[in-house]
Amino acid sequence: MKPVSPSHRQGFSTVEGIVGLVLFTIMMAALTYGGASLFRFQADPEVTFNGRTYTQAPSFNDFRQAIDLHAAFAQAVDQSDNVIVLGGQRSHPVLDPNGPSSALSETFADTSLAAAVGSDPFQSASSWDQRQLNSSQFGPYLTSGADPADFTILTVQGLSRITSITQQRRHTTKLNSQNVVLYEVTHQTIDWSGGSPVLTPSPVGGGTPTYSYRFYYLASEDSWAQPPGATHYWFRSDTTWDRDQEGPTRVIFADPYVLAGQDPQAQITSVSRFAYFLAQQR
Amino acid sequence: MKPRSQSIRGERGMASVAVLIFSVVAVVILIANFNLNYAVNTSADAFDTYNSELVEKNGLAQVVKESILAIGETAATNSGNSLQTEIQNRLGGMSFPAGVSVTLAGPVPAIPANPSFPSGTFPIGSRAPAGVAQPAYFSTTQTAVAGLGNLITSLLVQGPVASLGALNVTFNRVNAVSPVSGEREGAGAGDNQNYAVTANLFSVPLTNIDVVAYGLPASGTIPAAAPAVPPGFFGSGASSLVVTSNNPANDPTAYPDLYAATSNETLPYQYRNAVSFSWNAYEYLWSAGYQNSLLAAAAQPDPGNQPFPAPVGAVYDFSSANNPTIDGVTPSGNTVTINCAAVQSPVVAIVDAEGVGTVNIVGSAAAGTPFVLLVRNTAGGLGRTQVMFTGNNNRPAIFYLEDSSVGFTGGPQIQGALFLDPACQAAGNVTWFGHFSFYAPSSPLGTLGISVNDSPSVKAALAPLAPRVLLVSTTASR
Repeated sequence: MKPVSPSHRQGFSTVEGIVGLVLFTIMMAALTYGGASLFRFQADPEVTFNGRTYTQAPSFNDFRQAIDLHAAFAQAVDQSDNVIVLGGQRSHPVLDPNGPSSALSETFADTSLAAAVGSDPFQSASSWDQRQLNSSQFGPYLTSGADPADFTILTVQGLSRITSITQQRRHTTKLNSQNVVLYEVTHQTIDWSGGSPVLTPSPVGGGTPTYSYRFYYLASEDSWAQPPGATHYWFRSDTTWDRDQEGPTRVIFADPYVLAGQDPQAQITSVSRFAYFLAQQR
Repeated sequence: MKPRSQSIRGERGMASVAVLIFSVVAVVILIANFNLNYAVNTSADAFDTYNSELVEKNGLAQVVKESILAIGETAATNSGNSLQTEIQNRLGGMSFPAGVSVTLAGPVPAIPANPSFPSGTFPIGSRAPAGVAQPAYFSTTQTAVAGLGNLITSLLVQGPVASLGALNVTFNRVNAVSPVSGEREGAGAGDNQNYAVTANLFSVPLTNIDVVAYGLPASGTIPAAAPAVPPGFFGSGASSLVVTSNNPANDPTAYPDLYAATSNETLPYQYRNAVSFSWNAYEYLWSAGYQNSLLAAAAQPDPGNQPFPAPVGAVYDFSSANNPTIDGVTPSGNTVTINCAAVQSPVVAIVDAEGVGTVNIVGSAAAGTPFVLLVRNTAGGLGRTQVMFTGNNNRPAIFYLEDSSVGFTGGPQIQGALFLDPACQAAGNVTWFGHFSFYAPSSPLGTLGISVNDSPSVKAALAPLAPRVLLVSTTASR
């Protein structure tokens, strides 16, 4: 082997140069990849739709808000006597087997149900029954042309006290020459601990709703193994004995930190971590 | 090539620094990415833990409820164990995540008694047993019904009920794998928990639900499907209860959405209270124990009894040659006539051991103190007792009819509660105000034209004399 002269030690050899170049390339690739990922996760490109700001998924900030919202939602469900889910598929196995049925508009902020006075709780054993019993109250708020992902969830204590209103909306539109799908989830807590209803303000900046998150996907990425929305399941519908007995409703909220449909070739499509099997009767 | 080689040599230091800077920046970015994903994962894990502990605490609430019902449910048979033993047995059968154990903490209270008339001390005319409170919906001073779940409140708001109070049971949850709370926010944080389960117990008169098509899971069978009903059967405000199969092959009103075919159908837990009310309570009602307790109550002296040595009591036995004289009861051969206006005893019993008797029940035009009429056929299928209602009745009464052929003359309007046992047949037309229950698998509604109407005043009057169902609601907090 040829000895290395002292002059060679003052600079790179060809081998060292090549190795350095390879290392530099690897570092640059890592830097580019990491930077791009971080930018994608943290830069949170935003769009404005109907005066509200939506962040492109996956959005860590929205994920944090989603955790807060769903913790509050789970608690409201846990402490409720009755859960009313309006919207989604199969709101009634005979009268509305396919849906999507109407949800309540986002302006609905009633704190009690009008039908409670003199009503028979045996006749409120399903969300469909509740829709009929409270038809005069719900009527002005029922949405038209509902999206399959839209729903409204009311948690109720006793026969009348609404303790929370949770909404999900999906909008499809074109922004910046791109077809996008926007998801909006809001949760309004209603505090009855003082004997009268008080809308709980948002812990961040006050105002209503109490919690919310809004984000969007490119339309091509809005692909899910279980699409966001509500699916009602039924034990029976018995008009003779007045047994509209609804089982748990599968409710799937959009997840702001899931790369839904990003890889069209993927064998497994995305699943939201915010999925519930909500019993109407508690 | 030589000049290039010299160029590289000359910039060796700068190139090294550049590579170092890029390396550091790249590592920082990768660490930031890692931390971001770690934060997401730990937040998600914490949320999952929160949800799973909600399920866990509600599971413990169910354990407490089932343990109480095992001991005190209105049923033909109950466990003789203590509540602590019942809870321990159920806890032992539960599976928890690795490293997690849940144990009882502190003493477990005893279950309060829920005696039904006649063994209870419910003064006639009161709306609730002495010393217990009528629950209110949003009460702040006594047990509030609101917040206990619609599955139980739907049964509690149908008429007068009594709160038997609340039992508190606490559990310790220990996670040996990640026991410490507060040090990090990831999975396992706060895994050591105290769960507090509050069980609210209610005593509900069986007569509170206007129509019950009952089943007998132990001594008989359960209804596969709800019975067909005649036109106008459900009158004004009538509430009804029937629990049937969820198998669409059995019940055409059922849907397969949630039905899982198994050899033995298992009903979802949301039917638990309804099963207590419409199945198990009727096993108790028609058990020899309860029927004999009514006979014993009827054996108490009646104001119409003749002086000694004449027999006493308000039990008339067709097979006996020496029956007491009972106010409101007029015998004639194998026929007795019950004049509801003249009955004095709180319980009158007619025993037909040979299936040869006829009982004519004449209604009372005037209101009055409620009473119980038991027609007990012990002939074992030799023959049905003929029971005929005549005239309107405005004095609330509970009619227990065993193995009887029941008829109605003149389409009367009757206030009261009519309990038909599985062997009863019925025909005729009647308008009923109060409660009506029958064995769903052999419904009499094919021949009986009956319209049942809700009557809060009749429910209130009959509540002290009615069998009372123990219903339990448990809520858990952590």
